[in-house]
Parts: sequence; C-alpha cells; structure tokens
Amino acid sequence: MRSRIVITGEGIVSAIGTDKAATLTSLREGKSGIGRMRYLQSRHHELPVGEVSLSDTEIKALLGIAPSEEISRNTLLGMLAVGQALKEAGIERNQESGMIPRILLITGTTVGGMDITERHFDDMLTTGKANPCLLKHGCGSSTDDIAAHFGLFSAHTTISTACSSAANALILGAELLKADEADIVVAGGMEALTRFHLNGFHSLMILDQEPCRPFDAQRAGLNLGEGAAFVVMEREADAQERGAAVHAWLSGYGNACDAFHQTASSENGEGAFLAMREALEMARLTPGDIDYINAHGTGTPNNDLSETAALRRVFAEQMPPVSSTKGFTGHTTSASGSIEAVICMLAMRHRFLPSNLRWAHQMPGGITPTLGGQGRALRHVLCNAFGFGGNDTALILSAQPADEGLPSSSSEVRQPVIAAKVEITSEEELAEIRRYVKPLEARRLGRIMKSALLSSLKAMEQAGVSCPDAIITATSLGCLEYSELLLMQLREEGEVMLKPTWFMQSTHNTIGSAVAIHTGCHGYNVTYTQGAQSLEWALWDARRLIRSGRARSVLVGMHDETTPRFRSMMEQLGARDLCPIHSIAMILTCGE
Amino acid sequence: MNNELILELKEQIIQALNLEEMTPEDIDTEAPLFGEKGLGLDSIDTLELIMLIEKNYGIKLANPAEGKTIFKSVATLADYVSKNRKK
Repeated sequence: MRSRIVITGEGIVSAIGTDKAATLTSLREGKSGIGRMRYLQSRHHELPVGEVSLSDTEIKALLGIAPSEEISRNTLLGMLAVGQALKEAGIERNQESGMIPRILLITGTTVGGMDITERHFDDMLTTGKANPCLLKHGCGSSTDDIAAHFGLFSAHTTISTACSSAANALILGAELLKADEADIVVAGGMEALTRFHLNGFHSLMILDQEPCRPFDAQRAGLNLGEGAAFVVMEREADAQERGAAVHAWLSGYGNACDAFHQTASSENGEGAFLAMREALEMARLTPGDIDYINAHGTGTPNNDLSETAALRRVFAEQMPPVSSTKGFTGHTTSASGSIEAVICMLAMRHRFLPSNLRWAHQMPGGITPTLGGQGRALRHVLCNAFGFGGNDTALILSAQPADEGLPSSSSEVRQPVIAAKVEITSEEELAEIRRYVKPLEARRLGRIMKSALLSSLKAMEQAGVSCPDAIITATSLGCLEYSELLLMQLREEGEVMLKPTWFMQSTHNTIGSAVAIHTGCHGYNVTYTQGAQSLEWALWDARRLIRSGRARSVLVGMHDETTPRFRSMMEQLGARDLCPIHSIAMILTCGE
Repeated sequence: MNNELILELKEQIIQALNLEEMTPEDIDTEAPLFGEKGLGLDSIDTLELIMLIEKNYGIKLANPAEGKTIFKSVATLADYVSKNRKK
C-alpha cells in the first residue's frame, strides 16, 4: 500500500522571525515584519519590504561559515532553514549504523545567485574580467551549495516556478517518497531580496508604498519579502519506525496552470480553481472539511480578485476562515509556498487562526478574511501559492491522517515512449516561428522563448498532439538575454523603471508558461533548473505522470541560451562550446 | 490635431512594443489600441506606454488604471501628451 506522507521537522526564516518559535510569537501577537530596508542596497527606500533581521555576516556566523567566503544571501537563508528542519527531525550527519537512508534535497528558488551577480556586474563590465561568481548565478548552484554545506544528501534538485516554487518542491518531495526514490526528503524554498526583482516588480507597478493590505478594497499592491522554509518529509511508516514525531500530514496537493497571461491571473481564477480542486480530490476531502485557508493573497488588485473568484468556485457557501499572511512577511516569492505551509502547521499545532493584517474595507463581492482567532481546532488547512505565468499550486496539510486517495489498484503500468523529438541549435532556425505564431504574440518573445515555443510546437505537430496533458520544462540558466538586458539597464540608467517586457520574461518558468498559454494547457506545469541535470529530472517527472496514468502526453523541453558577453566571461572561467541557443523538445506518450 | 506629434508617437509605440512588422501608416489614429477590435495590446503594453511617456515627455503616471482613458487610441494619447508634457 502506498504510504501517507508526513512532515517531521520544519525550519523557517522570514521578516517575522529567524526560527519557528519567533515566527509563532509574531503571528500570535500580530506583529508584522514589514518595514524599511536595512540590508538591500537600493535607492527605493520608499518601498516597504519584509527583510530578514540578520545580516549576511550574522547568518554566516550562525552557520559556521567564514565571513570572507562569498556566498549568496539566498543560499544562506536556505541553509539556515534546512539546518533547523534537519535538527528538529533529528536527522544528523554520519548516521553510523544500519542502512544509509536516501536523503534528497529539493529547493524552490528563482533569484539563485542574483544578489552576487548584481554586486559584481558593473565591475566585470568595466574591467572585462570574469568573476567566478558567475558560476554561482544559476538557481541550481544555490542548491549545490546547501547540499555541500550539510554533506548528507544523496541527491538534490531545484524547482523554479516563480512564486509557487517552494510549494512545488513539496509536491515533488511527496512524489519521490511515494515512488520510493527516497527515504527522506528535505523540501522547501528560499528567496533573498535583490535589486533586480525589486525594480522588476516596481516596473510592473504592483508594489504598494504602504504596508500591504490583502483582500482589502483599498489594496494597492504587494510588498516584497525574503526568507526560507524547509520541511522534512517521510513516508508515515518510516517516520513511525524511527520514532519521529509526526507534525502534520501532507494529505493532498494540486498543480495546474492558469494558461492566461505571463503576469496577470485570469478573471475566473481557472488555474487556482483547478489546483485547489485537485488537492481536495487527492486528500478525499470536501470543501466543508477545510478549517482554514492560507491564501496566496498578495495584495495586488488582480491576484486578490482572481483568487477570490477561484475560492468562491471551490468553496461557495462553505467558505472557511481565510487569511493572507503576507501582511506579516511580505511576499517572499519563491519561498512563500513553504513559509506559508509552515505557518499553517503552526496554526494547526497551536490552534489559532493567523490574522489577515490591516484588512479594513470589504472588497465588493469579496471575501471577508479572518483577523485572527484563538482556540480553534484546525483539522485540515489549505495553502495556496501562485506564480507568474499562472503556475498555480495548492497544498492540503492535516493535523490527522486523511483518507488519502490511493491509485486505483487495477491501474496497469503504462510504459512511456518518446513520440517526437525536435532540436534547435541555431538562431537562423527561429525565423520559422512565423509559421506557428502570429506576429502580435511573437513580437515580444525573447530568443529563448521563440526557440522553446517553436521546438515545442514542432514536436507536438510531429506527435499529433494539439494540447499536451502536462508541460515540464528544464533550463540551466533560463532567460539569460533579458536578464542581462535588465542588468545593463540597471547599470546604465540606475534604478529607473525597468522594461516590463524584459522583466516578465526573466523568470525560468516563463518558458513553460508561454507554451501553456499558447496551447491552452491547464495541466501540470513545472520547471526544473539544476544545471545539466535539469533534463534528467524533467524526464523522470514526465515518466512518473505517464506511468501513473495521470497524463497521456507530456511535453518535455530543455531550453538554454547565452549572450556574447556571457559567453566571453564564461570562457575566461573555462567553459567551452556554449551556444547562443539550444532547445530540445520531446513529446512523451503512453504509447497508445 | 498635431500631426507631427501623432507620427512621433506612432513611431515610438512601434519601437517600444516591438511591433516590428508595422509602419506608422498601419496604425489608425482613432482606432482602439487595446482589445480584440484594435491593435490587441495588453496590460504589459500599458506599462510600456507609461514608461514611454515618462521617458520621452516627462509625464509620470502613478496608477496604471489611469492609462485606460489616456491610451484609448493614438489620438487620445496625443491629446494627453500635448496638454501634460514636461519636455
């Protein structure tokens, strides 16, 4: 029988506390962490942020890392939370006797080593000399460094679906445990504030100059926050065997794509609706079983309206207490899914409803969020995390085991086959995009987006698939061209309005969501970014979906690009054979 | 109406929004810029247009919602720019 997945340890760092106890105190006392920036080097002091109270040097001291070692704040925050989670679950290095468990680390992040890159970018351009920090730019290298720091992981990978990254890391962890590919998974996410994404969000005009007010009629945007949270996950039977205390069950989850727009959510919240419904189905729960919802609730006019529509569609007259805790932490982007999952666990454990801070004015037709409450038994809670591109994820955490839906016993194992494969290796080939995409849609696509879309659509055409059931993307460095253009703009013009067209295509998951938007694919959608291993992970995930019968056709792609400037820098650091563009797109089917 | 400004704006719009295959003649001055019936622009284009008028004419819009009436067509935009330009 397939085992239930339990959580046996948590670590959390955010603006409202650098561990679980401090986080709990802030939540119970209604103490927000949003305020003026102290560490982020930005001129935008008018923008409130949710900064972690520790400096890089202080975090390094806590971790036993030399102050001189250059390591990104993103990675440091991740290390802090992973360490706390491992300690709480009683998992230590050098397990002496018995079988060595397979311990996996899965992180969700989007900024990777961006804070270090932006620190050295100007200098590299002025001197023309490459800085080894470039090797740490990719999201996967943050995970490499965390894994190396602890030295107990048998494998690790990174997911980047913007603001739902950490939630998707938890889903992958659960699937790896269910597939018996691991004995213990440490999953979560981290995101440090950077000038890059603060200015990017600023140019989208979705940052509130006041502390945010999710679900309020007068809400005027979000505040960016930073932090990390990780959980230790195991099969219930394994946890029992080693005598670990179960803190919560991960009883259901759903991942769907809104397939609507790169930065806006649809009016009816289709992606969010599908993700929540899938999570409830997996947990075999009805809307009436959910005692609390931790909403994504960013505070932007668009998100809160769209999420409200989705919540109404799922819960109708049975709406449980809902709150967004982003008024406490700010929007911790890639880390928000795991930070809020741990907040949900604290709420269940200590029987309280986290408050939707600063809510005062009812949205017309909107929900009335909870402003807190004590002594509440919470059996099952739902936690939403939605990302750019419509990468929407919902998790259900339970204080008691739910009657989780097990796969039907009759299910025969389907053998995945590669039905089509298309490769693009030169820029010249991209002109063919006109055959598939209208000029209005193609006009703002960056090179990697054109290459990804073209290779994907050709592979679909070859396989005779008009809309795949799922889209899984792999990329080592994502949209490098637009990221570089934004860094150049920051260098030359300062912290002005960055070009929105570039920023909205600078997250790794833009690639997979562009294909979803074009094809109208609302199915499972996730992006792996673990260097050269990204494709291997994506293929594993695709085969899992087909074997279990959850998808009949999956589009898998590995897409990467470089720029002349980046290539010359990387060649100084010993890299060879970097091509301007490279795409591989495949359709996997169940062979029927 | 200021035909010089209208032509200038059309050229700037083509550049800022990467409307590579269009010329100023292709854009109807009175036609809606947004929505299916017009040029089919979206919310990101609104932001690009806000940047455009800030950079080229020194006009600062604090709220993207204000763009709705200003960016209705090239004609409404030209009218707003001529009345509010700082440079």
